[in-house]
Amino acid sequence: MRSRAAASILTGAGFQEVYSMGGGIRAWKGLVAEGIPEAGMTYFSPATRPEEMIALAWLLEDGSCKFYESIAKIIEDREGKGVFENLKRSEENHKTTLWKMYEELSGKAPAPEFPDTVISAEPRGDVMEGGMSVSEALTWSEGKELKDILELSISLESNSYDLYLKMEKKVEDNRSKQVFKVLSEEEKKHLEQLTSLFNKRL
Amino acid sequence: MSVLDYFKPVSTWSAEKVKEFLHQKNPEDFNLVDVRQPKEYEQNHLPGAQLIPVGELPNRFAELDPNKPTIVY
Repeated sequence: MRSRAAASILTGAGFQEVYSMGGGIRAWKGLVAEGIPEAGMTYFSPATRPEEMIALAWLLEDGSCKFYESIAKIIEDREGKGVFENLKRSEENHKTTLWKMYEELSGKAPAPEFPDTVISAEPRGDVMEGGMSVSEALTWSEGKELKDILELSISLESNSYDLYLKMEKKVEDNRSKQVFKVLSEEEKKHLEQLTSLFNKRL
Repeated sequence: MSVLDYFKPVSTWSAEKVKEFLHQKNPEDFNLVDVRQPKEYEQNHLPGAQLIPVGELPNRFAELDPNKPTIVY
């Protein structure tokens, strides 16, 4: 009902095309993200430079990379191992893309301490997509079944997909917009791979 | 707005239709607004959705582009 009320308000305010989603989020069969609206974005002031967003994205990709690498080593399921190795490689590529983007925007190679030099606030170091710490996630994963690890990875990827969509909207620089768009599309593919394996192992 | 506004016909899209739409469009081509409360948003939301609780909407609709198709839930 709230969405119908909201739709009326917007229509009344002169919005051209407004649709209320029937059944609300309960009717949604698909991926959802968690976390407060500013999740991952809290580190930015409204005037955030694209470099800072790129640095944050790089940091999260780096964490995910480490997580997937460790998981690929500990799980025995052959197909699962393959999926996590692929994800690790893909996040590596994302790091490279972001690194180049950073160079392009700032006109110089990132300092050895990158990305800490660019990100002024938390998080630092040991975090990955979804804002969870890598060591926390690895400790949690010990002795867990593949499907539980897949479930965790799915929620991480949903959150990073959500973050990239928001970054794409927020950033004004067109090249950066393009980069975030590519990244969000790739995270969506990761989600598809993870969910398809998850379905098989349920 | 008046109470009569609630009786205006509102177009409804099924979740399936919304999913298809989001899949085909670029994020900059539409507004996707979660009008629930922050606690509900925190538990789950559609990827990329912007949170504006329905109670705040009358004061905050200027944050949205009125010329873009707008989906609310």
